[in-house]
Amino acid sequence: MKWIAVGVGALVLGALLGTALPVSAQSAPEIPLVIEKNRFQPDVIKVKAGQSFVLVITNKDKGPEELDMQQPRIEKVIPGGKTVRLKMPALKPGKYPFVGEYHSETAKATIVAE
Amino acid sequence: MGAAFVITLREAFEASLILGIVYAYLEKVGARDGFRFVTWGGTVGLLLSVAMGIAVTFLSGPLLDLGPDIITVVVIFAAVGLLTWHAWWMQQHARLMKGQVQHRIDEARAGNRLWVVGLIAFTGVFREGAETVLFLWGIMAQAEGAAGWSSVIGGVAGVALAAAIGWAIFHGGRHISLSRFFTVTTAFIMLLAAGLFATGVGRLQGLGLLPLSEPVWNTSWLLSDKSVAGGFLSGLIGYRSQPTVPELCVYVGYILVMGIVLFGRRTPTGVTLADPTQP
Repeated sequence: MKWIAVGVGALVLGALLGTALPVSAQSAPEIPLVIEKNRFQPDVIKVKAGQSFVLVITNKDKGPEELDMQQPRIEKVIPGGKTVRLKMPALKPGKYPFVGEYHSETAKATIVAE
Repeated sequence: MGAAFVITLREAFEASLILGIVYAYLEKVGARDGFRFVTWGGTVGLLLSVAMGIAVTFLSGPLLDLGPDIITVVVIFAAVGLLTWHAWWMQQHARLMKGQVQHRIDEARAGNRLWVVGLIAFTGVFREGAETVLFLWGIMAQAEGAAGWSSVIGGVAGVALAAAIGWAIFHGGRHISLSRFFTVTTAFIMLLAAGLFATGVGRLQGLGLLPLSEPVWNTSWLLSDKSVAGGFLSGLIGYRSQPTVPELCVYVGYILVMGIVLFGRRTPTGVTLADPTQP
């Protein structure tokens, strides 16, 4: 059982280090995304396939929103009035829909990688 | 109202499931005084959830960009580790139990590991806690007019129903035999941990720390992760409508390995670990 704990510990440590490092990589293109009146603007975001990028998400609403993508699995809370930089992995060509979980009826958008 | 209800019910379900199981577990092994560990763990989890909800509204820059993700991933893997430990330990003790009440209590306290259930309660509540707090806070901040307030009521009702389910598990657990309780909860915890493990791996993929891959199948048309039923199945057995290869491998691998460890080698271990107090 100790080995499982060690393994979990190693994974977690790896996650910490691995997540902390890419911050310095500023080369990835930045793509703005705005949340206003519980909608994403724009609702279609075109990106280059095979290249990681940073979604710079600004929430102009008062309340928080959670960007929720099923595939790849991404959940990101953007508090009201805040800007969050979300580093996105390189995507294969295709459509990647996501919703704002807190207002999923109106907040819908798609990333198109091509 | 309906949407808010579904969201909070889904977010709080897993936590109440875990709390129900660990409370029932302590009740079954006759360690009611251990309830305080769980209550403390759950309370600290709730307070930290509120603190994190407040923190993210004040933070900015890299702390806000990465902090919550790192915490979430750490909590997920910590929960997998703790649940695995607990399942393994329960299974060991299920084998030792010969029906003597005093013996059971001594076994439960052997090694003073009751605090582990407190930690389990903490991770269970904290994992989705901050999100639930933020969501409820958000709908309260935006509540204007009847529609807004019905959302608030829906959100609170979702948490309340989840809590009621946890309470029902606790009560239901009291009426089944000890060995069956141990077997059933060990199996449940194993599935829960496997699902969490897969979620953690999925999150690592989403963070770009593991390579991306296509989903193996897509059953979201049949049962969405976001529906009530999908949310329950996700909490109970780790259902995913679009699992990736690593998620699926981790899920199946974990169940295979833990299934063998927990339920496989009964006879040899049973003999070597025979109760020394028995003649």
